[in-house]
Amino acid sequence: MAQPSLSVKKEKPEHHHFVDADQQFEASKMGVWIFLVTEILFFGGLFAAYIVYRAWYPELFIAASDELDVFWGAVNTVVLISSSLTVAMAIRSVQLNQIKGLIINLWITISLAGVFMVIKYFEYAEKIGKGVLPGAHYTYDGVDHEKANIFFSIYYMMTGLHGIHVLVGISLMLWLVWKAKKGHFSSKYYNPVEGTGLYWHLVDIIWIFLFPLLYLID
Amino acid sequence: MSGHHVSTAKFLWGVAIALLFLTFLTVAAAWMHFPEPWNVIVKLGIAVVKAFIVAAFFMNLWWDTKFNALLLFMSILFLFIFVGITLLDTLYRTDPIPGF
Repeated sequence: MAQPSLSVKKEKPEHHHFVDADQQFEASKMGVWIFLVTEILFFGGLFAAYIVYRAWYPELFIAASDELDVFWGAVNTVVLISSSLTVAMAIRSVQLNQIKGLIINLWITISLAGVFMVIKYFEYAEKIGKGVLPGAHYTYDGVDHEKANIFFSIYYMMTGLHGIHVLVGISLMLWLVWKAKKGHFSSKYYNPVEGTGLYWHLVDIIWIFLFPLLYLID
Repeated sequence: MSGHHVSTAKFLWGVAIALLFLTFLTVAAAWMHFPEPWNVIVKLGIAVVKAFIVAAFFMNLWWDTKFNALLLFMSILFLFIFVGITLLDTLYRTDPIPGF
């Protein structure tokens, strides 16, 4: 925290119940971090299911993960890491009051998120086409294990929840572009950009764990 | 301590290149087929390093107030308690519930 001093001129906050703009910025950032805690524990339930079933059926996970294409999983990892870079660049742009740079970086991030979803769509379509569906709808016989449907139920739940988060991220960034074009943001006020950036990086971190856990088992 | 850390463009690119290199490393490790349990340990180890890099240098926890880092740490701690206590049950069943 900066030393409080009456001689330093403080920026006025966007909302009147804050002392100054810095306090509002810190409060909104902490709020996002508390939300991210709930997100980690939300995904945590699925990670727990993954760990329990992998401990019960280790050979199932080795056999079934062969059905996932490491190449496309790796491409999507590169896509998401690049989008984390561009969202960090977007925040840097707005910190330097470069609103045009902010909008360009947000559009690149939105495009990369779109590429991720398109690749995910083709992966899902290929699996659904051969009967790899979650739970009772599973009809594929290419994996030699009686519990093969369990791996893919976990796969669909984890990547599906992650995909929903990517779609939410795209919507948030479209909203940021709209607000930025209306002149809402500047180096003095960019709290929604910072918060969306933090959310987007967490979505990236979750994929960083999903990629080796689902695609890279032996 | 305050949250307005501005990273240079060069630094952000460096972070991204480090993350891409670690992605390459984790795929390479998959080709090497380490014997278990090293297979899982190497890949999760790389993932933890990548997550740390993102949290510290993209999410700016490195320069941020320590309270936000504490929030992240506590969420991971509670995740471990959650998974740990669950495993105390599921690992020691002689017979997993049929149908599961």
